[in-house]
Amino acid sequence: MAGIGSATAIVGMGRAMARKGDAEPKTPLQLGAAAARQAMAAAGIERHQVGALFTGRTPQSYMVLQYNQSLLNELKIGPTFCSEMTSHGGGALGTLQLAATALHAGVIDYALCVTNEASGIWMDQVGSNAAWEGDLQFEAPYGPSTPSIYAQTAMRYMHEYGVTAEMAAQVAVENRRWALDHPHAAMRHKGPITVEDVLSSRLVATPFRLLDCAVWYPGGIATAVVLTRADLARARHTELTWLAGFGQCNTHEWIGERMGGWGYAPFEDGPDLVQTGAGVAAKQAYAMAGLTPAEIDIAESSAPFSTINLIMLEELGFCPRGEGGRFVADGGIAYDGGLPFNTIGGYLSFGQVAQGLYNLQEVVDQIHGRAEGRQVPDVRTGIVHMHGGPLACHSVVILSKESLA
Amino acid sequence: MTGTPADWSHGMPLMAGDWFIGLYQPSPETVGYWEAVARRELVLKYSPAAGRWYHPKRIVCTETGSTALEWRRASGRGTVYSFSEVHRAPSAVFAGSVPYTVGLVALEEGVHLFTRFIADAGPIAIGAPARVDFQVLEGGTLLPVFRVGAAA
Repeated sequence: MAGIGSATAIVGMGRAMARKGDAEPKTPLQLGAAAARQAMAAAGIERHQVGALFTGRTPQSYMVLQYNQSLLNELKIGPTFCSEMTSHGGGALGTLQLAATALHAGVIDYALCVTNEASGIWMDQVGSNAAWEGDLQFEAPYGPSTPSIYAQTAMRYMHEYGVTAEMAAQVAVENRRWALDHPHAAMRHKGPITVEDVLSSRLVATPFRLLDCAVWYPGGIATAVVLTRADLARARHTELTWLAGFGQCNTHEWIGERMGGWGYAPFEDGPDLVQTGAGVAAKQAYAMAGLTPAEIDIAESSAPFSTINLIMLEELGFCPRGEGGRFVADGGIAYDGGLPFNTIGGYLSFGQVAQGLYNLQEVVDQIHGRAEGRQVPDVRTGIVHMHGGPLACHSVVILSKESLA
Repeated sequence: MTGTPADWSHGMPLMAGDWFIGLYQPSPETVGYWEAVARRELVLKYSPAAGRWYHPKRIVCTETGSTALEWRRASGRGTVYSFSEVHRAPSAVFAGSVPYTVGLVALEEGVHLFTRFIADAGPIAIGAPARVDFQVLEGGTLLPVFRVGAAA
């Protein structure tokens, strides 16, 4: 791990978006290709310079056997290192880790990471997603909805730590407040909400009410990132965002299998429903970056439910285990004066695309002062958490404005 | 899920409500579980080498590396480890049953199973005793479920 923190930098990004109901509906491949070309143009690199292409998993709304091949074929590039990074949807952020290790090893000069999904245009996500979140043999026949699967963790967490629905509801309130400032947030037009609004919204799956839940993004988003090594970044590029640290941890596939059985640190007899790999991933990222949570200026998490955000605030080190509820109730993530957390509105109010790097893009935009209408003053560091499956796979990336090497 | 395909690799459609993807179906490593369910028995994998029980999907004993796992009948008793009452069904198949409760049961043998909880008396709560029963659920297949309360 020595020396890899801040050994690579993001030197170009691209984004393509589409909304359900657009006159010309877009596929993930159309969006991905557009975002990739944009990122290459932003970085000022030509097709022959793309040494590696890493994509997230095949989009749910574009099921081909080898999505990365579809994309490189469309882009007419011939990378010498190419793979999909699955980890359910969490692989989208994991692609940056593959890029960093390949660049640090010196086998390529430029890596292109692309993730794209447009399930909000092409699919019934409420119905289909449940089939992606549970074991089809041992879980799905019992009728779990996606919220009811995450609710297993939430119910156990509330039981063990005395966290209340009111505490969790505050996350939804803060996320909505940030979403009001984002031009593309799904719930922007709905206006602000209160804790009482959350607690009086209809039950979806206990303990989650409607406003505790992520909203599916009503469209598609593709994000593309070009990364290179520190020496090339400094010599050839002007706008750099350093990959100061990263980490990853994967613990299981479905929730019914996650319990116990490790027999070694850090989970020992676990993992249980409340311990996740996010904490392991975050510790690795902090160690690589040489930073502590107190030195982080902005944080974005993919947690798709209010209570799960509380757990992720703990796993990312912003408060001790079990204290997430009280941390938030005491203003820990308050729009005014708290940790800037989920500044796009989070999955609850910006909306969730089944896999995406829009959280990463937000931190890059914030670092370079481009987060129009929601700019946090003087952002020098940011942490991005992404997960896949029922809290099965976690990736964490720490970005910084200056090299921390 | 009732019945045993002669050759599992030919694919038996396993429906998740209205949805079907992939080869998640009774396969050689799990078919013994579903054969037992058809007899209204709950079995788990057991490693004689380690004296330890495992989830019915497991293939290798974590402690010993042995693949000689046996099907053994479980007591059918446990406690509610976590649960959620579903108010919005994932698909039309389950829509007529809401609200219903899905959750994880912690079995006496140390194994956790995802299941349907059915309240016999009082509310379903974490830590409450639960006992296995067998019911045909919405998908039309016989499944182990767990009764919480009086009958437990």
